[in-house]
Amino acid sequence: MTFQRLIRTLDMFWERQGCAIIQPYDIEMGAGTFHPATFFGALGPSTQRVAYVQPSRRPTDGRYAQNPLRMQRYYQYQVIMKPATDNMQQLYLDSLRAVGIKVEDHDVRFVQDDWESPTLGAWGLGWEVWIDSLEVTQFTYFQQVGGIDLPVIPCEITYGLERVAMFANGLHDLYQLPWDAHRSYGDLHIGPEKQGSAYNFEHADIDLYRTLFEQHERESMALLGRQLPLPAYEQLLKCSHAFNMLDARGAISQSDRPRLVLRIRKLAKECAESYLALQQSEAAEAEPAKAA
Amino acid sequence: MSARRRPSSAAKKRASSAADWLVEIGTEEMPAAYLTGTLEQLRQEAERICADAHLEHGAVETAGTPRRLMLRVADMAPVQRNPAEEIRGPSKQASFDATGQPTEALKGFLRGRGGALSQTKTVSTDKGDYVYLVKPERLSPTKQVLPELVVQLINRLRFPKTMRWDASGLRFARPIRWLVVFYGTQSLRVSLGTIRSGTHTRVGRPQRLRTMSIVGASMYEPTLVKQGIILDLSKRRARIQALITKLAREQGGVVAPEMVDHGLLDEVTALVEQPIAIGGTFDQRYLQLPREVLLASMAKHQRVFAVQDGAGRLLARFVAILDGKPGKPALVRNVIEHILNARLADSMLFLEQDLKQPFAEGKNLAGVTFHEKLGSMADKTQRQQQLAAPLADAWRLTDAERSRLNRAVLLAKHDLVTTMVREFPTLQGIVGKHYALRSGEPREVAEALAEQYLPAAGKRPSTLIGNALALLDKYDTMTSYFGIGIEPTGDQDPFGLRRAAQGIVEIIGGVRRALPLSPLFAARKASAPFAAMPAEQSARTEARIRMYLFERLYTFDWPVPAPSRDLIDAVLASRPDDLFDAIERIQALHALGDGPALLRAAKVVERTHNILKSAKSPAIEPDQAKLQEAPERKLWELYTAHREPLADLIGRRSYQDATARYGEVFFAPLNDFFDQVMVNVPDEALRQNRLALMRAINTLYTVPVADLSKLTILQQSASSA
Repeated sequence: MTFQRLIRTLDMFWERQGCAIIQPYDIEMGAGTFHPATFFGALGPSTQRVAYVQPSRRPTDGRYAQNPLRMQRYYQYQVIMKPATDNMQQLYLDSLRAVGIKVEDHDVRFVQDDWESPTLGAWGLGWEVWIDSLEVTQFTYFQQVGGIDLPVIPCEITYGLERVAMFANGLHDLYQLPWDAHRSYGDLHIGPEKQGSAYNFEHADIDLYRTLFEQHERESMALLGRQLPLPAYEQLLKCSHAFNMLDARGAISQSDRPRLVLRIRKLAKECAESYLALQQSEAAEAEPAKAA
Repeated sequence: MSARRRPSSAAKKRASSAADWLVEIGTEEMPAAYLTGTLEQLRQEAERICADAHLEHGAVETAGTPRRLMLRVADMAPVQRNPAEEIRGPSKQASFDATGQPTEALKGFLRGRGGALSQTKTVSTDKGDYVYLVKPERLSPTKQVLPELVVQLINRLRFPKTMRWDASGLRFARPIRWLVVFYGTQSLRVSLGTIRSGTHTRVGRPQRLRTMSIVGASMYEPTLVKQGIILDLSKRRARIQALITKLAREQGGVVAPEMVDHGLLDEVTALVEQPIAIGGTFDQRYLQLPREVLLASMAKHQRVFAVQDGAGRLLARFVAILDGKPGKPALVRNVIEHILNARLADSMLFLEQDLKQPFAEGKNLAGVTFHEKLGSMADKTQRQQQLAAPLADAWRLTDAERSRLNRAVLLAKHDLVTTMVREFPTLQGIVGKHYALRSGEPREVAEALAEQYLPAAGKRPSTLIGNALALLDKYDTMTSYFGIGIEPTGDQDPFGLRRAAQGIVEIIGGVRRALPLSPLFAARKASAPFAAMPAEQSARTEARIRMYLFERLYTFDWPVPAPSRDLIDAVLASRPDDLFDAIERIQALHALGDGPALLRAAKVVERTHNILKSAKSPAIEPDQAKLQEAPERKLWELYTAHREPLADLIGRRSYQDATARYGEVFFAPLNDFFDQVMVNVPDEALRQNRLALMRAINTLYTVPVADLSKLTILQQSASSA
């Protein structure tokens, strides 16, 4: 199962479940949860079924391509089913079978995970899914996003694609995974991973990222004042990435951390509120039109 | 609850037609940490609900796995007996109109209670005449009552965190997916949110659950057992323990004791329902890693059990518990081994990176914030260095011990900036110990680093330098936060200050060395936040800290039987400065029990205390010339004769002897004095002199030892003295 076929197979699987297969968001983010399709899609009463690959940046997880399990940039496969159906676990296990993992051969475990994203003001309950003691997926029933209780509960499934691919191929080193018939995952990623680690840990300009944090925060606040929640949220994503870069450079002290997180969280909350307000006013405008 | 202990005639009557009530709540995997508590709650709530519903029953049992909570109430009576009741309604006046017809008020009451006018009577009470509804005993078939009780029961369960998962808005720890409810062989229909109860449970491994029919309450457990599911928690735990012990032995070792002590066994018990064990190995070279790092990687990250040899050295082996037998056990073993090796390789990189330079060098503690108002870890280290000298004086450390302590203080926080502690924050101190040893630091210094965060989880520091470092860390933390106005209140203690203060007291009780608070604080107040503080505010804070520390003696882990609260009150009333001296006094007085020695001394203190309490007198020395009567001259004589020897005993901390002697010397002569001499005489000078004598005798003991007038034995023995 090549990496590219794995993605196609998951796309087909979740397409059959009624998911729109959408594309990665074009701004750096720490996880697929940050994609607007999840953040905004989870809010409010409307249904949402969507699946996508999201390259995810975790600057502190860089290992200069020396670790077979960790990277500073990797691929998540994210599914949102809203409302959650009553067979989510079953669907998930079937998706693993679809990509060629004989789950019956393995030890599969749903291990408690009280998931929380402090920066997004989001939390939910669910599990880390373990195969043979390795976490391959996060499985969460969202309860709150942007500090707002969700009227309809979405289920989020976040696959660590490389780890799933390792089981689909019986390999233990993600760099050896076949990307296609001719190239390995390593061929395409070892160089970027080494350079990325060096940049994140050694060379990223701390002053630059401090400035970026401030400027994107200011821009986000200005956009919120103009009822533009999506562009405001994009600025939040940039803030969040600046925070992660500063963290990798060891430039965030223990006492700075909660304050900076709180600043991003405040933006997230306002983006969520602004989005819901906008939806309501759009619905109100559409109402008389329908009646007519 | 009481139904279990009803007379046997009732039990016999019940047994003829009684049946078991069985409830299975099928869930997606419940958090491991919740399971034990939830099963206990389920049992208690079931007992309560049965009692409230007047349902007679036998034993109540609960059991569970990650995917099911089971309740079984044995021998439940087939009929619910709601006893007759009389319910007070509106007053007679409000119940009937002028023509004697029932008013709306009465009709409303009857509608609400499901009664008829024919069931009412009028009763005279001291508040006037009232209409009562008289309801006879009502019998309902148990099977009709139970469905509603199942719903109540599930709604009553409480969890640290709950969630919603569908449109019903039902809350639980994780989604409920099925429900099986039986009364005997009869399946009961229960609706809960979107769930409808049925006769089918779900069994199998988590990756492929299948439904299986249950034919009755009594067949529930046998059906599951046949599928390899061990329902009962303690049986499952025992089974897992046997499995891991056997596999560890096959691998030439035993399970590392921390695995059981630190909860991995309990956690794994709550993570599986069909335990299967497999053994595996990892790369020998990772045995260079500190033991705690290996244990954390195995236990916390992968939930596998570490194995050690007879001498307690870890082997490059582990035992994993799986949930049900996998199709390819060898494959699973292989994967777990690879993952573990990869994690340990990561830790090895941390180790190599961290040891590129000696542990004492190149650590930038100024970049690690302790608290924004209290500076960095470099500042904290500096403060602890200043405190080391007065502590070393108090503990009479040798020059060699002093230098070890100073070294330990200097290195204490170095591991906070290592990559290993960033990865394993809970191993702070322990990583420091290993790195210090590898950098050639003395063993005492290294051990102290590991012990600096103790006492914790019932473990105290065991080395002298470890105790000293742990004390300095806590004293600095506590005084620093008190200094910026942060103190524990009620159950709010986000910075762990109560634990720090308690730790200081436990350390002193353990090492049995002095801790005079005045010289220690004198050193502390030279630095932030006290240095910049007005003297008065600093003194006030010092008093708060002192009081807070001494108050920890009430919750100190005393040897059993513990001294009573009034004894501690008595010693604290004498305002000791040295924490250990206070502990010694309490223990000495406590050792006297409620024997005559303590009681006599307490009487002397009490009588002198009482006479002084009501009198206004300046603190003056008694004037020998004004002592007229024989009993007061006798008391003065004794006072002058025993003042020095008593002070000497107290100075040597022979508190038991001092107490015995004090009582022996003064008890009888003081009685004579009160029998024969009047203190409150009209002659003011004479009165003042007698009060001064009383004060002298009182303070001779109460100032340096304890104010025994606080003792409750005085109240108990008021008549016998």
